Amino acid sequence: MKPSTFQGIKLVLRKELMTGLRFRAAWAAMLMFSFTSLVCISFALGGTSAEPKLFAALLWILLFFSSLAGSDRVFSDEEAEGTLMALRVYAPSQAVLFGKMLYEFFVLTVITVLLLPLFIVFLGVETKEILLLLCTVGAGLWGISAAGTLLSALIVGAGVRSGLFSVLMLPVILPVFLPAIRLTEAAFGGTVVSLSFFGGIVLYDMILSVAASILFDYLWYAE
Amino acid sequence: MKMIVFEEVDKSFGGRKVLRNLSAVCCGGQITSVVGPNGCGKSTFLKLAGHFMLPDSGRVTIKEEDMVLQGEELRMSLAYMSPELRFYPRLTALENLSFFLGLRGIALDGRQYEEVLERVGILPEAVKRTRVGEFSTGMRQRLLFCVMLASKADIWLLDEPGANLDDEGRAMVLREIKRGASEQKLILLATNDSRERGAADEAIDLSGN
Repeated sequence: MKPSTFQGIKLVLRKELMTGLRFRAAWAAMLMFSFTSLVCISFALGGTSAEPKLFAALLWILLFFSSLAGSDRVFSDEEAEGTLMALRVYAPSQAVLFGKMLYEFFVLTVITVLLLPLFIVFLGVETKEILLLLCTVGAGLWGISAAGTLLSALIVGAGVRSGLFSVLMLPVILPVFLPAIRLTEAAFGGTVVSLSFFGGIVLYDMILSVAASILFDYLWYAE
Repeated sequence: MKMIVFEEVDKSFGGRKVLRNLSAVCCGGQITSVVGPNGCGKSTFLKLAGHFMLPDSGRVTIKEEDMVLQGEELRMSLAYMSPELRFYPRLTALENLSFFLGLRGIALDGRQYEEVLERVGILPEAVKRTRVGEFSTGMRQRLLFCVMLASKADIWLLDEPGANLDDEGRAMVLREIKRGASEQKLILLATNDSRERGAADEAIDLSGN
């Protein structure tokens, strides 16, 4: 009997949610980092008005480093607990990859939902294009989740540790960040921006997801 | 009937050759024990057999009739037990069972759960509320066995399946592997236990490797 990939993804996502809710270390690390950083930035700026470009860059720096505080645990926690082998024995590759990717996206979305209003209030950012901001953040988080999940699997598969995740994550995610900062700047400042920036992010997200799907089979089945 | 074929397989770790030019055939319906002293490569042999690890040279193929099984198709037809295998400690035993069996497309009803739990000597009440992290090592081992039995896998790769089990547990392991072989399952058994070795139809001795 073979479950459908959708059924497998649902099972992995549900398992991630249950274990995540019962062990909140990853959540706590990401939340603590993002809130502490936000408070620091807020104090540093001290209520002075800044360019939308600076606010946009600060927002994405916050989101990126918050994701770094938790994304590398996607597979390394499984390996540390010895459950990765059980998952390799019983779970189809695509179910694991996309189940974990969706969970990562969910966690980042929750953090962003908590962080973004505080960012806008604390820094006094005027948001003129809310829909553009939300779409940009959604597309950016998709890229971070896809890249984070794949890199976490690669790093565990290669048996290496110590900061390699952060080193690899930045160049992989840069094609998402640069247009995301440009779009976020436009959303804050109300300036006109070419929608090709958004198309570029979505296209790169899709390429990342498809590449992750193809590469992950090789990692999972060691063929 | 499934068959695992090792052809001139070499495997090294950190320059130390664990398996050297190894050729072997394991067939369904038989219990094949893999024996030898600690560090001789028994666990490595099982991991290579399950394609959880690649050989440095040579080939390991799993066949059904003339068809070579690979990737997901292969993984879905095997079960693996080892002391390094763990279930999720923060999930209850029942949640673990449902999760791992669900990944194989298997949904058991209450009576089927009770039946398979009884076969491995776990009380049904124990799986409902107790998290696996609170289980003893022996109970965890029984739970691994339970998932393996319920998964309906055709290939069982068992690395020290009797480890951490009491006498009753070891008897259960022997009973179930004999039953598995009678159901034409391919059973590879890495063990140093004389009773488990005695139950095997064939033996692969890695002492000389």
